[in-house]
Amino acid sequence: MADLSLLGTAEAAARLSAAPQTARGFLGLDPVTQNAALLARELTRTGAQVLSADGVLLGYAPNSVQPRQGWVATTSADPAPLAALLDFLRTYRRCTSYVAEVPEGAPAVAALEACGFTGAGRLPGHVFHSGGYHDVLVYSATQEG
Amino acid sequence: MMLRGYRDSDLPLLSGDWLPGELLGLPVPGRPPLAEPARVPAPRDPAEDGATGEDDELCVVPGAGFVRLAAVDWVHRRARLEIGLRPGAEGGAEPLLKAALDHAFRALNLRRVFGWVTPAVPLPSGLPRDALLRDAGLAPEADVPRALWLDGRPVARQIWGATRHG
Repeated sequence: MADLSLLGTAEAAARLSAAPQTARGFLGLDPVTQNAALLARELTRTGAQVLSADGVLLGYAPNSVQPRQGWVATTSADPAPLAALLDFLRTYRRCTSYVAEVPEGAPAVAALEACGFTGAGRLPGHVFHSGGYHDVLVYSATQEG
Repeated sequence: MMLRGYRDSDLPLLSGDWLPGELLGLPVPGRPPLAEPARVPAPRDPAEDGATGEDDELCVVPGAGFVRLAAVDWVHRRARLEIGLRPGAEGGAEPLLKAALDHAFRALNLRRVFGWVTPAVPLPSGLPRDALLRDAGLAPEADVPRALWLDGRPVARQIWGATRHG
């Protein structure tokens, strides 16, 4: 099991800025076009926490109308760090369901599917980058409890 | 149906018996009288440094309800739509929905509007929700399980959206 370490908001923003391409769409952020100050402000606004495990960034934001649901994100296709985050959320935050929104073709899709997430839908033209509108895929997973 | 900008005297319209964040928020039948009413925040005045409040567009229909376009994003040209109607104003749901989308697409020049719909809670007086939403040009895009805590249990929600190309 990967070791998780919690990052402060400023450090999280700096780490996201340092790997902008893999972090595109991370919790709805875009480190390619948003600077560290704006990333930090968005993380604070959504109450998001960023964790690091083996060099992979993981994100978690609570659902304000459902305390047992978390919005998660990862920057890697490796399922092990994401599985560690889900285990942490289940054990310490009492989460029983998870939602992820990822841009089409993002590496996170492989990690999500390996962790039992299933496609919940597609938001057409939800984000604009690189001169065009792109779809965002919605994934969800539920656990008993 | 004419929308007008929010004024301080419209504050009572901003809380009521609809579900939080609901796209088409009508009074929920059989809601317990002690249940916390849903609220949307009133727009804030700009701060001293000129920074505006949240990126929300809030309009009202006097005496009937409000239309809120939350987190208007000018890069992605999208916003999350939220409507709340007072009891007795349910008949205005259809024109208000159309006016809200018209405002978003024509006045604000947004490209995409989306919102949360809770299928487990029927609309009052047997209003056909799916037909209302589809008539206005919205379509279901995603089913998110356990997305809302309601009456002691989680219920699924859907994301409905409309995109105007161009």
